[in-house]
Amino acid sequence: MINLATRPTSKRVQLMATCLCDAFYDDVAKATVEVLEHAGCEVVFPENQTCCGQPAFNCGQWPAARTVMRHTAQVFAGDEPIIVPSGSCAAMMFHGATLEFEGEKDRAAIEQVGGRTWELGDFLVNGLGIKEWPGEFHARIAFHRACHTRGTASGPAVMQLLESIKGLRVLPFGEAEQCCGFGGTFSVSFPNVSTAMGELKLEHVEAVDPDYLVSGDMSCLMHLSGLAEREHRPIKTLHFAQILRDALHHRHGQATH
Amino acid sequence: MPCTTAMAKQLIDTYVAELPPTVQKAVHQSTATTTEKRYQLLGDDFTDSDALRKLAGSIRQHTLEHLDTYLAQAEESLTARGAKVHYAVTADDACRAVTEILLSAGITKVVKSKSMVTEEIHLNDYLANHGIESVESDLGEYIVQIDGDHPSHIVRPIIHKTRGDIARSFEREGLGDYNDDPETITRRARKFMRGKYLEAGAGITGANFVTADTGRLVLVTNEGNSRFCLAPAKVHIALVGIEKVVPSDADLAVLLNLLGRSATGQQLTVYTEFINGPRRHDRPSGPEQMHVVFVDNRRTEVLASDCKEILRCIRCGACLNVCPVYRQASGHAYRSVYPGPVGAVLSPLLAGDKFKELADLPKASSLCGACNEVCPVDIPIPDLLLRLRRRAHEEHVPSPGTPPMAGFALLGSHPLIWRSAMTFGAAKDYLPLDKMPVPYLGSWLKTRTLPKWRGGKFRTWMKSRHGRNGGNGK
Amino acid sequence: MTAREKVFSGIKSALAPLPEREARPAVPHGVADPQWLAGEADNVALFKKRAKVAGTLCFDTPGGCLSWLYEQQAKTVYLPEALASLDAKFAEFVQLTHDYTRGRVDEIDAALTLAHGAIAETGTIILTDESTPDRLAALAPWTHIAVVRKDTIHRSVADALAAMPDDPNIIWVTGPSKTADVEGILIQGVHGPGVQGCLLV
Repeated sequence: MINLATRPTSKRVQLMATCLCDAFYDDVAKATVEVLEHAGCEVVFPENQTCCGQPAFNCGQWPAARTVMRHTAQVFAGDEPIIVPSGSCAAMMFHGATLEFEGEKDRAAIEQVGGRTWELGDFLVNGLGIKEWPGEFHARIAFHRACHTRGTASGPAVMQLLESIKGLRVLPFGEAEQCCGFGGTFSVSFPNVSTAMGELKLEHVEAVDPDYLVSGDMSCLMHLSGLAEREHRPIKTLHFAQILRDALHHRHGQATH
Repeated sequence: MPCTTAMAKQLIDTYVAELPPTVQKAVHQSTATTTEKRYQLLGDDFTDSDALRKLAGSIRQHTLEHLDTYLAQAEESLTARGAKVHYAVTADDACRAVTEILLSAGITKVVKSKSMVTEEIHLNDYLANHGIESVESDLGEYIVQIDGDHPSHIVRPIIHKTRGDIARSFEREGLGDYNDDPETITRRARKFMRGKYLEAGAGITGANFVTADTGRLVLVTNEGNSRFCLAPAKVHIALVGIEKVVPSDADLAVLLNLLGRSATGQQLTVYTEFINGPRRHDRPSGPEQMHVVFVDNRRTEVLASDCKEILRCIRCGACLNVCPVYRQASGHAYRSVYPGPVGAVLSPLLAGDKFKELADLPKASSLCGACNEVCPVDIPIPDLLLRLRRRAHEEHVPSPGTPPMAGFALLGSHPLIWRSAMTFGAAKDYLPLDKMPVPYLGSWLKTRTLPKWRGGKFRTWMKSRHGRNGGNGK
Repeated sequence: MTAREKVFSGIKSALAPLPEREARPAVPHGVADPQWLAGEADNVALFKKRAKVAGTLCFDTPGGCLSWLYEQQAKTVYLPEALASLDAKFAEFVQLTHDYTRGRVDEIDAALTLAHGAIAETGTIILTDESTPDRLAALAPWTHIAVVRKDTIHRSVADALAAMPDDPNIIWVTGPSKTADVEGILIQGVHGPGVQGCLLV
């Protein structure tokens, strides 16, 4: 078990951009860099990074997952905090990996990396001690707490930041604690359940008519925005890092599709 | 819209597509309401209910890891108070033990109180085959029994039935003309069941807990049926999974306070019974004989596995109620006695050499972790689901719809190949993917669009800032 | 090997490989008490409040109980020997019976029985074979009224568990018998009493 309370908090940080930002959501990764820099961080981007290996881990294909994780651990060697704009990938680093390496000789080395990993919002609030976010962002948003941040400090941290932004209103909506239905490969191997879960989420979100649906995980948002687009539902999505960045520039958000 | 691509063959997924919307709606409404009640009550009553869940988990885990000691102690306590203790290795052994007790006492009619372990060992069928009439007395279980159906929820066995279904069943069984008023249904069951209680020679129950130090079997019900099973009958037989033991009465303060709140949003269930022996000689009512059958039925195998934490379960059903997959699928989709998240772990483990037949259950989860969050004994259900997925993969169980990961591992560990894949992935924007025979993508695109490919763009941007912050190492 | 030996050897070999075993956690008395319990001064007042929440009717006097039974048109009422002191008062208004036999289960409208004690935190009545020897009498009639002595009310579930009597059959009753099996609709009086009462003395 990794003790999350002893993670490093130095301002020289390594950025794990995540494979989804690498492939689809470059603006979210850019926003993450700008937000961290605004907070006074020096952001290092290890170029050999790929993925946390979660897709293989979740399929039960642990040797394949370990291959990827071993690579990742090498790429993120050092003692700086590792910052991830995703609760899911962060949880893979500090929780999934400990499970995946049970009984493996190099478990300690892997846990050293996990023991430095922070989800972005958690790092800003609980690592750097930022309690309020400056700037303005005039919008009504629905915040979807990604499931892999359950039991971590990320959800309350992000809410605290968002609620401190001038002009921003976070709307409560129904069954907010429920999963969006993405679940990685679950979304393709159980398409009917996954879609039904996503539709339920969208219905609850639509009922409060927000300007944006916001999350800290692009995986949830890829599923939800993909579903919304296919069903012609007028829902725009943003990562909270994009809101933090745009608030600094008093700029209204650029929705991600 | 049901998915019809070639890869959508996971049984639960197919079941969801075929489940009547009325059933799905009823299940969703009932589970969501109970989840909300649970949440309210725990929040009103405890400043830190999470700490309490973790304490309860630790009590249960401690007991499991010292089960040899506590089970022997429970046996001793019960024997000292005049109960007879039996052990059953298999389901068949358990059924046989019950039948022998009944036949040797000349009993051919029994009433049963709701018990998951008796469902698990298919006791009613066994008794029927040996000429013994066994009537389920819990209203929901009785309806399941007369319909030849199976429970679809641990606490609410007929969550999948409407009042109309029940009224038709009662009419068919001669319990009166069609009447779908829930109060009338309940009164008819009351009247019918009284006759059964009074003519039964034995009452069969399960147990929610057994305390080692005093041998108390703890039974919780709301209807009062288990009490009724143990008032007029001469013999009490309790079937108890060996994992139900807890060290002492004091531990029950934690477990009972969590059980009612987690199961039904009640502080306590209406009836909490503590039974540790037959009635004393000078008392006018209650069974003269008490038999406790401790059932293994592969629990020792589970205890030896890397999923032993599932044996902490106190059968409250909170994980079913909160589970987004259970809410869509209902209980029968799990094809086993224990549905929902707990069932997805426990059922394949209890299946023994038929593991493969239920190895799809642990995959029917988005791993959202809501089950762990509500579990009164803090079972790390998602971790256990993952371990079972690994086992399924190692045992080469086919998994429809799940992509092979060898290529992913290659990409993910070779940064040069990864980076070129990022660049070339852009090709997908120019291909008619939804018309191509790429099954995983097809399954995605059936109901969702994919975002525009922007592979490598961030890396280029980050490089362009190299001079500005000087921080792009490695 | 007997079944018992097989089960125990299965358990022992399952546990043998564990490098260490979970220690027994400390369970401080009252650790699972609701947070509001400390602010409640009086056990009797708290019991009444919680009994109401659980759906149990509380009577402060035998007369109050009797007039309620009369209003409900209870004709035949069971009173055990232990409550003989109430006989004279009740006999004026209702038909009394002292035996509870199986054959008369449906003739008896209400039963009064002596309780072993109660729990204030949950509004629970505690019955035992010692206090309430006839199990059916406290269960089968539509109305059951338990007579609870105020000095036998435990404050909390934890207190009650710490003071469990040596009795093979202890029942905690928290409200009337109920079910929500049919479409989640709450119905009272499934197998046991549809009306659960309590007479405090």
